Amino acid sequence: MVQLSRRGFLKSAASSIVAVHVIPLHKALAELQSAPQHQPPNWIRDGKIRFRQDGIPKVTGNKVFAIDIRARDMPGWPDTQSHALLLRADRADRRFEGVNLAVLPEDLRPDALVTDAEVQRDNVSMTEEDFYGRLLLPAGEAPRYLGQPVALLIYHDYARFRRARRRLQFNPDALKYGDPVKLPDLAPYGGARYVRIGGDTPDAPDRFSPLADTTVFANFDQGNSPWPPADPDGDAGARAMAHAAALREELQNPPDGWSVYKGRYRSQYVDPAALEPDNGNAWYDPDKGALHIVVGTQSPFTNADHIEKMVKRSRFDLSELRLHPGYTVGYGQKEHHVLPYYVALAALYGEGRPVRLALDRYSHFQGAIKRHPIDTEMTLAVERETGLFQSLAADLRANGGGTKNFSPSVGQVAATALQGIHYFPKSDLSVQVDASRAPNAASMRGYGTLQSMVAFELLVDEVAGDLGIDPIELRRRNLMHSGMKNTQGAIPAGTMRAGELLDAAQADPLWTGRAERKQQFESDNPGYRYGVGVSCVQKDYGTGAEAALVQLEITPDGELHMRHVASEIGCGSTTSQMLMTQRHLGRYADRVDFAVTDWPSLPLHSRDQPYTISQEDQDRRAQDPHWVPRITSPRSASNSAYYFSHATTEAARLLFELGLWQAALSFWQEGIGGGQAGPLAVRRDEAEWRDGHLVAGALQPLPFADLARRAHERGLITGVTVHTFNRWAWATAEFEVDGTPVSGAIDALSVKWGEGADAAKKARMSDGGYAFQPRRQVEYPPVQRNNASVVYYAPVATMVELSVNTGSGEVQILSHKSWMECGNMIVPELVSGQLQGGIAMGIGHALYEELPLYEDGPGNGTWNFNRYRLPRARDVAVWSQQGEVIAPLSATDPPKGIAEVVMIPVVSAICNAVHDATGKRFHETPLTAERIKEVLA
Amino acid sequence: MSERMLSVTMQINGEKVGPADLPEDLMLLEYLQEYLNLTGTRYGCGQGVCHACAVIHDAPGGPEVVPACITGVAWANGRSFRTVEGHATRDIDGNVTQLSAVQQAFLDHFSFQCSYCTPGFVAAATALVERLQSAPVAREDVEDVVLEALNDNICRCTGYVRYLEATRDVILNTPGLTTGQVASRDTAT
Repeated sequence: MVQLSRRGFLKSAASSIVAVHVIPLHKALAELQSAPQHQPPNWIRDGKIRFRQDGIPKVTGNKVFAIDIRARDMPGWPDTQSHALLLRADRADRRFEGVNLAVLPEDLRPDALVTDAEVQRDNVSMTEEDFYGRLLLPAGEAPRYLGQPVALLIYHDYARFRRARRRLQFNPDALKYGDPVKLPDLAPYGGARYVRIGGDTPDAPDRFSPLADTTVFANFDQGNSPWPPADPDGDAGARAMAHAAALREELQNPPDGWSVYKGRYRSQYVDPAALEPDNGNAWYDPDKGALHIVVGTQSPFTNADHIEKMVKRSRFDLSELRLHPGYTVGYGQKEHHVLPYYVALAALYGEGRPVRLALDRYSHFQGAIKRHPIDTEMTLAVERETGLFQSLAADLRANGGGTKNFSPSVGQVAATALQGIHYFPKSDLSVQVDASRAPNAASMRGYGTLQSMVAFELLVDEVAGDLGIDPIELRRRNLMHSGMKNTQGAIPAGTMRAGELLDAAQADPLWTGRAERKQQFESDNPGYRYGVGVSCVQKDYGTGAEAALVQLEITPDGELHMRHVASEIGCGSTTSQMLMTQRHLGRYADRVDFAVTDWPSLPLHSRDQPYTISQEDQDRRAQDPHWVPRITSPRSASNSAYYFSHATTEAARLLFELGLWQAALSFWQEGIGGGQAGPLAVRRDEAEWRDGHLVAGALQPLPFADLARRAHERGLITGVTVHTFNRWAWATAEFEVDGTPVSGAIDALSVKWGEGADAAKKARMSDGGYAFQPRRQVEYPPVQRNNASVVYYAPVATMVELSVNTGSGEVQILSHKSWMECGNMIVPELVSGQLQGGIAMGIGHALYEELPLYEDGPGNGTWNFNRYRLPRARDVAVWSQQGEVIAPLSATDPPKGIAEVVMIPVVSAICNAVHDATGKRFHETPLTAERIKEVLA
Repeated sequence: MSERMLSVTMQINGEKVGPADLPEDLMLLEYLQEYLNLTGTRYGCGQGVCHACAVIHDAPGGPEVVPACITGVAWANGRSFRTVEGHATRDIDGNVTQLSAVQQAFLDHFSFQCSYCTPGFVAAATALVERLQSAPVAREDVEDVVLEALNDNICRCTGYVRYLEATRDVILNTPGLTTGQVASRDTAT
């Protein structure tokens, strides 16, 4: 087997893809995002973009998704296309005894059959099996969960593939099952507890908090309780439990003046329903040991890494791996999902032919990632006289399904998000994520926060009703203001602005006139009830270990080229990143490579353990300038607007300071007496870009093209590559470039000198044409900061006006209005689209979407959109909705990630509005017509 | 047992395709994707529910939208269809030289995000616009008509607003599609 460095086999990931003519009218373009692209034609008008950078190929139906790709679209691949069928267990109560090929006539037997026997023989196994689950279920064992993969059937032609699929799908005899088994007791995937006891005031140091002390992690191997014994004099975990016990005792026996409320909310099991089903197409060339994969994924870098490991320890040679991520969509459903590994597996057994594994909707429902159902119980103490929250205890119980995946992390994020926009002097939040036989739940949009924040938002409305306080006013009184600590004891970044949203909501005619409108509507529409509900939450963005790489380069003829780790999942991050260069370079990127996995210009390595590394280990490894805590992050957690933009902005800033500013000075200082600059005080911080020209004070405006040409002529720096890392704070580092001290919120840097550079400098550019600059000093956020869990928030408030048919129980949304704060918007149209789309998805969660967990659920392979109702245009008040974004605080107020928060408050607003309409509280979603009808009966 | 085959000829985007011997139970979507490599028409559910696979059938009575995933080639035989690849004007090499009015409006309005459903929306909106050419609608009814025409199409990303606004604007700004007083220009806000 050929031994490879990571760089060695990933470096060709961005190969070009060409068109294949099928019929003369058009050409079949394979415009996967890893192919280099220029700005679209006529993209910019009056300094603003007119449409998405990926808009034209998308609107004309070109091959942008992995699912569009066939072998003949890929240069260098054979023209033949094989097809794979992934069979999954549809029951878990009997032993699996193998695939029943007898249901297939002789001519429909697969050309290749891959079962556990084959992969065991060939030493192929899932990388990180504890995380993803086993590759294939062995015969003789009971399925661990419904939908567990058991075999791959490969056909070398489509006609037989589709006929075989018809014979096998929905066929109870397709798989052989043996003896019944008792469903096993499964250990939970994880649990955690966040105890915070504040000081006498919000400003005072906490008496105990996760950030200052510890997060408590559950141990399910011990006795009756997974939590450590309480001991006020013990270690941090024991002290946490002592504080928690005292808090719970106080809630049991509250002081005079407190009212204690109990709340419960049960969130359902949901499919993200990404319209592109999980899929991929791959070719393993056994002669060269080369594996080529086209796949829809939100985590291409991880996929490449894990596929490499999967294949390298097998009998299959691997000398080259090319992974092409298509434009895709996922809402988390393709984030660390397992399908890419089955695509790779299919190729390995494809007998040298390209194999396509594209799930149909039934199979996608059966195996793709779901949203965790979470049962949340809360106890909240409120001071009756003031309405101020005093103490909160909450216990969350989530169902993670059949494999662990990100379940423990989702549970933790759910618990730490529960507080929403509110402040609590003390709190004890616990979460447990159970294993089950349901298809896997993992990283769906919201990552647990929808479930927990909606739970608390419903309780707030109940408390407001009981206390006779306006629900918006109660929220306002209990706001987490700037500088206050969250339930982990961390102070959030910057200004907390949810109060401004509440102010706007409270003054809106929809709120102030709701009583009159209710009276009028119900008078005009007998049999209907009218209600208005409101909710306001703030959600974190980022994963707590955000890493990015960006390369920016200016060409002698004045173009700006970008390479970026960002991949497109529909939100518009590739469009946005092309614009983020404007502030420092006065220009949008002209040519881009996205979803880049190969970074020869910045040779880095990492063990990718940013959450679990010890402080000592981090300190030691940080001495190596090539080490970083993580190479890059998946596309998830609303992370591009802030974190990727930061990386792009830092790269642009450094390219300006090290290159273009020096080029500008060379113009301005030409001539006797220091040239035109001689009589002036030239200040770098006075420089700005106007209409493509660099201006500074009274100095001659200089066009970008002249500066680029001069930078190359003089051998100044014309390219930079940066790496950034954020653990709820930015890593910062200092470098020395050509004797000049350079610092930034980055942790690795390479530079490239222009064409006029001397031989010595050119000789130094040995890393993909760049010269790596070893950092002289680096400050990584301490590992303890993992316990902050969240410090970056974006708030949204949503108000919903709806009617309830008292006969059928059906809810009709009449209108809704949202207010959002997200810093400076990069592309306002994309932000608006995110808000509108998130609200639609939230409406689906609130009113329609639900899956049974087990035998009747998606794991049985019979679910599709005919009985999984998604919201349509008519369901979302498409003509009567409004959205407002409040103004940023400054021109440099950074953009915030809002792709998840937008879908959350509408859920609780709908529940609260249904209460307003019917007088009935609902503690379980979705609020289906049947459920409402039953309660109203 | 071998499959029963059918000789099929149809028009796709104005060009004759076939005759081809196809399984008689093959769906139009499969034919487009697996035989003709026209993959812009997308598979979403295979049930005709989500309309990601919607294409235009140019019927004698005018354009109508059909879900290609449940439209058999046996029925499609001898008929004429337009897929998303056929809406824009292209040069001889297949490069787009001009988008259709609906495509341009979707682009201008930032109507789509992931775009998986976009071909279906292009088909539905285009068919609506073409129907209105022979049966104009009152301007005050345009929003209702657009909602009715596009309600079959599922979009998971956008919340529908920008698709519907774009379609409304095309209708309001195209002479002959509406009755009643014409404003100087109607656009989405």
